[in-house]
Amino acid sequence: MPFMLPTILKNLFTGYATRMYPVQVREPFENARGHVVFLDDKCTMCGACALRCPSVAITTDKEKNEMAFYPLRCIVCEVCVHVCPSDAIELIYKWRPSLYDKPVELHKSTRLAHLRESADKAKEGAEKAKD
Amino acid sequence: MERLWPVELSPRTKYLRTIWAEMARAHSHLLWLGLLADAFGFESMFLQFWRIRERVLDLIEMTAGHRVIPSVNIVGGVRRDINAEQKKVVLDALPTIRKECEDLIKVVVNDYTVKSRTVGVGVVTKEQAFLLGCVGPVLRASGVREDVRLTKYDAYGELSFEPIVETGGDCYARALVRARELLQSVDLQIEALNKLPEGEIAAKVKGNPPANEAIMRTEAPRGELFYYAKGNGTRNLERMKIRTPTFNNLPSLLVMLPGSQLPDVPVIVLSIDPCICCMER
Repeated sequence: MPFMLPTILKNLFTGYATRMYPVQVREPFENARGHVVFLDDKCTMCGACALRCPSVAITTDKEKNEMAFYPLRCIVCEVCVHVCPSDAIELIYKWRPSLYDKPVELHKSTRLAHLRESADKAKEGAEKAKD
Repeated sequence: MERLWPVELSPRTKYLRTIWAEMARAHSHLLWLGLLADAFGFESMFLQFWRIRERVLDLIEMTAGHRVIPSVNIVGGVRRDINAEQKKVVLDALPTIRKECEDLIKVVVNDYTVKSRTVGVGVVTKEQAFLLGCVGPVLRASGVREDVRLTKYDAYGELSFEPIVETGGDCYARALVRARELLQSVDLQIEALNKLPEGEIAAKVKGNPPANEAIMRTEAPRGELFYYAKGNGTRNLERMKIRTPTFNNLPSLLVMLPGSQLPDVPVIVLSIDPCICCMER
């Protein structure tokens, strides 16, 4: 016990080592890996992220233009951010808040939808021109 | 993995990997020392160690992004860099952490309660440890000078590294080895940060893993970690084998446990730092 005494005395006269968590929250570091955010206006549904994700947290369906992301499976390894050819995935330094259920984030690529729309229009225009 | 191609690593990559490996070792040993105190009911020391560990975790989070597992290694390099600002913060924090660790380690070394629960408990002799294939702190606590860092992988060849050896072979010796390694780890971090060379952090690696085999041994906090990889030219590896240190250390319980008292069993089992989920593969 005598060897522990200096530490104990020091603790008596210094502040708390802990925080009153829900009231007082420490800001995450700028470099921290909080969570990933998907930018629907840049995504092309190429499926590179779904293929490389080590924890199968992303599934993509190019036909239906649908992407599902399971946030609780994500380990924030940053692989998808690096493989994305169109920079549609961003890493945010803020942590995801605690949850009561297991949500699924559904995304639809607005870029792909837009591209398809314009392709359809071009096709229609070409058909009309033929007629 | 780089040995499959093979890819030459830049000096900065090697130093960064060493720094993060040593940070991981420091937090792992702090966790273990805390758990050891917890195993025989010394709760205040347990929380003191974990309090220091929290600060080490903050340093890892600030530099690498994640808290416990840095997860920065990619094939050919590392994903994150330590810039001048972060280097300064880390270098400022490390001497304080070292000072606090020293104060607490004095308790581990000298305290009557710690000694009465660990000295002469779970003894493994030098020969037994060698024959049972122990690795890491368990082997070094029995007096064998064996450390994979002596093979000078990464930047260890350029740092002043000397393995820590104790001769007791009991739980007390294993605690001492880990305590002294903790201080040494902080020293190595400071030295590596001061020597950190400039350069690229990741080399470009092209193509799939070629048809080749590679093995690599590294010194994880618990002991020798062994990796075997075999590529076949496609994007998937043909075979990957990982042997974790607990797999080697677990048989030593056969020697330690017989004849011991029941209250000593948690201390003895803990003294090899078992990680059953790592071992089960």
